[in-house]
Parts: sequence; structure tokens; C-alpha cells
Amino acid sequence: MTATSDQGKKIFETAKIYMPQSTNSLDRSMVYGPTEKVAIIRDTSIQPFRPKEESFAIKVPGDIGKVNVEVTLTYQPRPGDIYPIHKVKREILIESY
Amino acid sequence: MNPKLANKRNNLLYSLSRSALPGIIFYRKSPWPRRLLAALWVFIFLPISICNGSDRKIETLNQLIQMYDPSSCKECHEEIYSQWESSHHARSIMGIFMDRYLKKGILSVKGPGEATAKNFPCFKCHFPQMEKATDKVAAEIAAVILKKDKVTMQKLNISCLVCHHDKGIIHGFPEKNVLYAPEGDEEYPEENHLRVKRSPIMKRSVMCGQCHGLGPNFEFEYPIQCATLYGSYLHAYIPSGGTRTCQDCHMKEANHTCPPNFNDKKDVSARLAKALPMEVRTLSYAPQLTPGSFVQTIIVETRIFSKAGHRIPDG
Repeated sequence: MTATSDQGKKIFETAKIYMPQSTNSLDRSMVYGPTEKVAIIRDTSIQPFRPKEESFAIKVPGDIGKVNVEVTLTYQPRPGDIYPIHKVKREILIESY
Repeated sequence: MNPKLANKRNNLLYSLSRSALPGIIFYRKSPWPRRLLAALWVFIFLPISICNGSDRKIETLNQLIQMYDPSSCKECHEEIYSQWESSHHARSIMGIFMDRYLKKGILSVKGPGEATAKNFPCFKCHFPQMEKATDKVAAEIAAVILKKDKVTMQKLNISCLVCHHDKGIIHGFPEKNVLYAPEGDEEYPEENHLRVKRSPIMKRSVMCGQCHGLGPNFEFEYPIQCATLYGSYLHAYIPSGGTRTCQDCHMKEANHTCPPNFNDKKDVSARLAKALPMEVRTLSYAPQLTPGSFVQTIIVETRIFSKAGHRIPDG
């Protein structure tokens, strides 16, 4: 997710990775690849019927009147191999108080 | 095919398959040209012998490929064949980095001759036909993979007989001269068509679960964890109230392309978008969490819901 000012300056950026994480069961380091993986040690993947909900708070510097927020969801079976799923854009006007 | 010719071929096939060393004896005693007999053996007898449950293990890769050759199915089941042809099942050895595994890591071998059915566990699901072959064939396949011989690699696949015979039933062993299908029993008028028996599992997720697995494969010297999809289906989707089968989503109307096709990015993206609807809500305000201190803030809330029958991502 990114948030940019109306001047194009990035004011916030973050990413969440949802995936099962495995080790080879010999040590505590995560491994990739079917020949290395033996057991899932943590699973943050998207589970059936169980929504993944996130909440991000973006502090907006005082001189910005408009913020563009872009939320993308992609699938990456391997690093760099990207399948786009969703891209949602929102334009948010900042009301001065 | 001319019915008389088909009949003649059939009689020949059955007489061949019922003798102890059918091909060899026939080959030696027959006055027929040897090339013709060799062709008969490879292209006709072998595919039949697989369903006859011969105990003799196959000695060459070419024999094994011919034994599972789906081209005779194509003659009548053209549409299904072309669907299958574009599926990942038709290229189960391609693009999964087996050459890398053979060169480095726990599955690595010094040369293709060292690869065996036991120390090359990928065969279990990516080419289960190996069950019927000797280690000589495993070595041949390793050589093909290491040479990146794509023409031969394309012939190593999950063809019709893998699902409609070998994996077609799980209660007992597949019968001789039988194909399995989800619908009712059928005797075909064509004499060269094997008898079709109804197998209820073919409509159920357990059918796919035989390969799209549960997790680590402990039966090998080094356990590997390739597919975990069926485990997720059983232990996450079903307990959450899921009622659909793998086939409901991945084989709609018996579509043998079995999507997703990861070579078709647009289609994969569209399927994922449907399975994972995402909502985004925003709020702009100035909270005053400590009295007198306003911080202009935007709250972005996201919610991803999954309608899939298994975790995403999974394999």
C-alpha cells in the first residue's frame, strides 16, 4: 500500500506478505522449495472463509491538501513472478481544521 | 477404424497379453516382418498391457511413454484431449526446476545413472507411471531432464490412464482391462475400447488429494513437502463449513484444462480476483489522542475475504 501527496511525494509505504512458512525441521530458518521444506512453522496465508483485515494509520504532514492512496494485492508464486489481483485507488481530500 | 480390422487387432492383443511372455514369443516365432511386430508391440500391446496389470517392470523410457500414450484416446475424445493438452497435467515435468534439484541439494546426483525411483521423490506425483518401471528408466528420465530435452520431457505427463486407471480407484487396486469414470458403467460397442467402470471417488476431492497432497512425504529417505493443498482443504476449508469439491472449481463441466494455467497470467489474475474479493475503506480525520495535539491522519482499512477451498498461496 502506498500513499502519495498531490505533489507526487511518497508519504507512506508498507507491504504485508501472506504465506505459509516452512523450515527443514533441522533448524529454525525458513526455507524455500519443495526439496527443502519439511514442515510449516507459521502460516499467515489467506485461509478459506477467514477474512484478513488490516488497518493502517497514515500521518499526513500539514501542508498536504490531497492524498492518493493505492492498495494492490498481488500473487507471487516465486520472487519476481507477479500476478496482479486487485488495485484500488482512493483520492482523499484533507480538510483543514 | 474398420470394424473387421479392429476385431482382428483386438483378438491379437488379447492373445498377446494373456501369454506369459507374449511379445517375445510372438516376435521370435512369427513370420511377420520384425519392424511391423516391433511397432505393434510398442504402439498397441503396451498401452493395453498397462490395464492388464502386468507385474513385469518396464525397462525403457520409450516403452513407458508408449504405455501411457494418450493419442488413442484423442481419436474419440478430441475436445477433452485438447483441454488436457493445454493443462499443467500435460507438462508435469516442465518448468518445475527438476534439473536444479538433480544438481544441487538433497536430491542431487553425481550423474543421471544415480537417479532411482526411490531417491527422486518428484516422480510420486509428477510422473507416477514410474511405479511401473525400473531404476534404469529413472536414470533415463534424469538424463532427459539434465539435458533439458524438452521434446521428451513433454511426453512425460499425467496422461489419461494415470487418472482413469492407476489413480481411478482407491479402495483396492485398479482392475485389469478397465477404465474408471465418474459416471455409470459402460460397455463400449467398439471392441478395442476398454470397459468403463463407475468410480465414485472421481467426483470427490480425495481423487485430487492423491497427488495435490497433505504435506511432507515421509516415505522417502529425505522427506520433502511439495503439495499441501489437500491438507488445507481437509483441515481449513471443510471445518469452516466448505461443501464444494476440487472438481467443482477446477474441473467445472469436466473441463480437463484444470485451471489455473499459470502460463495465462490474465486468467490466473481473474480467478484470484474472484476468489479473493478485497474491500478498501478510508477515513480522513484529525485525532486528538492527547488533549490539544491534533495529528492529521488517514486510516486505510483493508479486508480480503477468501472463497477458495484452500489456503492461498498453497501448492
